[in-house]
Amino acid sequence: MNRRHVLAAASGIAALALVGACSSGGSGDSGDSGDADWSIPDTDPTATIQVLGHQDADGIQEVIDAFNEDHPTITVEYESVPFDQLNSVLDARIGNQDGNPDVFWADQPRIPALAARGYMTDITDQFAADTGVWDPAPLASGQYDGRMWAVPIANSTQLLYYNVELVEAAGDPLPSAAIEDRMTWEEVTERAANAVEAGATNGLLFGQVNRYYQLQPLPMSLGGSAGGTGDDLLTPDVTSEPWVQAMEWYGELFAEGLSPLGVTPEQSDAEFLTGNTAYMVQGPWLLPKLTDAEFEWGVAPHPYFEGGEVVTPTGSWSLAMSAFSDEREAAAIFMRWMSVEHGGGYAANYASPELPASPEGKEQYFQRDVFDSDAGQLAAEIIDFETSNTAVPRLQTVGFVEFEEIIGRAFSDVANGADPAAALESASSELETAWAQYR
Amino acid sequence: MSRSSSAVSAAPSGAQRRLGASPAPRRQLRRRKELFWAVVFLAPALVAIGSLRIAPTISAVVSSLYSGFPGGVRPPVFSGFDNYLDLWGNEAFRETVLRTVVFNVIINPLQVAIALLVAVLMTRRIAAPGLWRTLVFIPAVVPIVGSSIVWSIALRPDGPVNAIITALGGRPQPFLTSPDQALASIMLIASWIGIGYWMIFLISGLRAIPSEYYEAAKLDRAGPIRTFFQITIPLLKRPLLFVLVADTVANFVLFVPIQMLTNGGPQNSTTMQMFNAYRTTYTYSSKNLGAAEVVILTIIMLVFVALQFRLLRDDDRAAKGTS
Amino acid sequence: MTAVRRRTRSERRSILLTALAVVVAALFILPALWLLSGSLRPSNEIFGTLSPVTWRTLVPSEVSLGNYLALLSGPFGRSILISFAVCFLTVAIGLVVSALAAYALSVLRFRGRGAVFAFVVISFMVPFEAIAIPLSQLFSGWGLTNTLLGLVLPGIGNGLAIFNLRQHFLSIPTSYREAATVDGAAEPRVLWSVYLPLGGAALANSALLIFLGQWSAYLWPLLVVSDSSLQVAPVALARTFGEYTFDFGQNFAGAIVLSVVPALMMFVLQRFFGGLEIASGEK
Repeated sequence: MNRRHVLAAASGIAALALVGACSSGGSGDSGDSGDADWSIPDTDPTATIQVLGHQDADGIQEVIDAFNEDHPTITVEYESVPFDQLNSVLDARIGNQDGNPDVFWADQPRIPALAARGYMTDITDQFAADTGVWDPAPLASGQYDGRMWAVPIANSTQLLYYNVELVEAAGDPLPSAAIEDRMTWEEVTERAANAVEAGATNGLLFGQVNRYYQLQPLPMSLGGSAGGTGDDLLTPDVTSEPWVQAMEWYGELFAEGLSPLGVTPEQSDAEFLTGNTAYMVQGPWLLPKLTDAEFEWGVAPHPYFEGGEVVTPTGSWSLAMSAFSDEREAAAIFMRWMSVEHGGGYAANYASPELPASPEGKEQYFQRDVFDSDAGQLAAEIIDFETSNTAVPRLQTVGFVEFEEIIGRAFSDVANGADPAAALESASSELETAWAQYR
Repeated sequence: MSRSSSAVSAAPSGAQRRLGASPAPRRQLRRRKELFWAVVFLAPALVAIGSLRIAPTISAVVSSLYSGFPGGVRPPVFSGFDNYLDLWGNEAFRETVLRTVVFNVIINPLQVAIALLVAVLMTRRIAAPGLWRTLVFIPAVVPIVGSSIVWSIALRPDGPVNAIITALGGRPQPFLTSPDQALASIMLIASWIGIGYWMIFLISGLRAIPSEYYEAAKLDRAGPIRTFFQITIPLLKRPLLFVLVADTVANFVLFVPIQMLTNGGPQNSTTMQMFNAYRTTYTYSSKNLGAAEVVILTIIMLVFVALQFRLLRDDDRAAKGTS
Repeated sequence: MTAVRRRTRSERRSILLTALAVVVAALFILPALWLLSGSLRPSNEIFGTLSPVTWRTLVPSEVSLGNYLALLSGPFGRSILISFAVCFLTVAIGLVVSALAAYALSVLRFRGRGAVFAFVVISFMVPFEAIAIPLSQLFSGWGLTNTLLGLVLPGIGNGLAIFNLRQHFLSIPTSYREAATVDGAAEPRVLWSVYLPLGGAALANSALLIFLGQWSAYLWPLLVVSDSSLQVAPVALARTFGEYTFDFGQNFAGAIVLSVVPALMMFVLQRFFGGLEIASGEK
């Protein structure tokens, strides 16, 4: 192998550069995401649409069957992708810029980010008549830059569940489910410590541990912001006093053994159901699982910091139409049925109870079996109150994807013992960099 | 591994000269036929290498010269070296590069040195050398996914490693959950399966050293340490270089334990370049920036490899006094 | 008088060094033994014997294949089949491509042969991971994501296999080829009847190289396949590790299954072709 050979090889490589350059760097047409020259027709077209979501396919089949009773000419092909891969699969699919999928499950706080990327079709005109149907927070989540991009099919809130036996063993009175008797985090911490001393494995367990969805209320209850300020909410604001204090409290939970390390969000329900946890903060989706519980349980309102605001997590999934959908009318009909008709066809027909995004839907929701028990009735009242009064949506910014990931890592580090102020500083500077491209 | 067979090149031309009475046209025909078959035989491999190795490299370089809104749907805009300048100015990225380089400067010589020591041990006069060798090698067949699973459980705060440490009087260590120990734990995971692997190459290299050298050393009354440094190591240059380079290449793009176990944390202490490029491209959907990171990673790694070639070749020349 | 402190070479086997070798071997093999024993017992027993470390940590109270059965009857079983399919296809295609190329580069004579060889060598100096991300995006554009072909293709252009086979072909005396061509055989025939039969060990070596590279592939299948019914074993195993950390037993069983296949391959090939040099694959 001498120099001549290497030069010859190099020129061969350069020749291939043409091949490489041709297949990269270029782009397909970006698909128009804002034209009003289509509308939801009065008669259904005959079409097939592809839908991408994270819910289990069997569960969704029941919903689709109900949809087909009202709209028999539209065939729905649903594809399920695990939650933690949904975002990257979506990126890849939309990147292909073809008609698959037509409709996809969109995480509500991500909607501004996805819309800014050009993933979605502008549906402002087509759904203008329906905006009064939904609760204010879910409606707002689908709007960005003055246009509407997604329709909400579910909402959420959080409750404080407790294991009656463990609370009594700790010598504490059972928490009240009344809104006016809402406990503070300080009280809950003390109770959790008592429970652990009395033998409980876990004092306090968060359902979505280390996730922004779950922990957002903590700094906000102390007066902090949702994490971003300024124009378009693209200036990080996670190093303020309330944020640091909230994280100090959070880190203490793990350091003192009140909360377990190593239980992931996917395992938290199972953990509580083993009966080894005194208090758990989780959404209403735990209720049906509790009907099979081998211990007595109760509910109370989501706590707040003493002297601070009452803030509860909220938000769930919406449906959005791909910017490259080739069956817009059919897709829109499906989306409308899922979110508007019958109080939201999705929430009405999905076997596992999903908190609907509309008042009409909520009325039906509270009729469900799962609310039949006494504790269930109390839960229903709490849910109703929180969704209407204390719910605060997550940070609505174009840079939400980066935000969620970076702050999630910071939360995880704090839980594992990192100094809260340092972790938040580091997160803040990562955010600065990540958001620089959007400003 | 690379045993040169330079003796072979002499034969063909000799054979040709013997048949050399063939007239020119027949030789030309033969040559043309050989060329034809060469093209046919080489086509699949060249197309494969071209489209599967060269094309993406070019594609990455080109893509890194554009800037696009995350997501890749909005058409990217040509921006020259902006991505590189942005990365250069980004402290977190600089730290990632430094971390990757430091990691490799530590782990590669360490793994090779340990592999060499073990190889030497296994080629001494001991009982049942084949058995011990096999036992050391067995972890090498465990894929890195398997090694990650085993060690992440073994290194748990309540795991067996900490149990042994406390039994010996120490305090339980956080390992993968501590920003100070996580990277070292990753080194352990990679080394458990790597060392046995490289040991095999070094053993065959050691065995290839003719015993005359050792006998001469013995006559010179050279002790084991002097023999090792003045005879063994110089004669082991080729296999050592191969192992060092191959190990560096593998460790430079280390990805699996980071993605599976630590997600780059805690506090970015295990975020190395390969993982960072993956996160930028797939989690943040910033394809063009990710492409720039990939290009930088490749360049740095090639520099490392070239350096190693240089170092060992120069030493070689100096020691032997020939070129 | 030789100093007694130094370990002097002697004709007898050194007890000290043997002891050292035993200790070193134990350090390496114990975690593997723990892995094996963990795969043969239920998860809660693994948990229960994590700490403190007693002989119980290594020895299961009863050996059961429950973990293996549960694992293989689930989605992981399917992913093992996918892995085998991908590996065999890659070896089949890869050997053909490599043997052809190696033959051309060692036996055939033509202008530019050196340059092409340089090209091949340069190409495999860059590790696959470095170009995996851009390549996966090209594949996405070419419609090869979530396809078996997409998983197979990157494994067939293995420069090291070509290098290996070329080395071997170079050592075969050219007189054989002369004899064959004088008899009127065309090049493919020479390759088929002369070189391949003589290439036993090198072919096995290269097949092993290609197989190992594909068997332990992780990053590439992660990037190219999102459909879990088409995913390969290492990625499928890693996924279950994240989701069901309580079920260590099955994870351990999966790790053993993943390790046994390459081990068996090496063992079998060593038996048949002897003196096999265990070559490198992708890690």
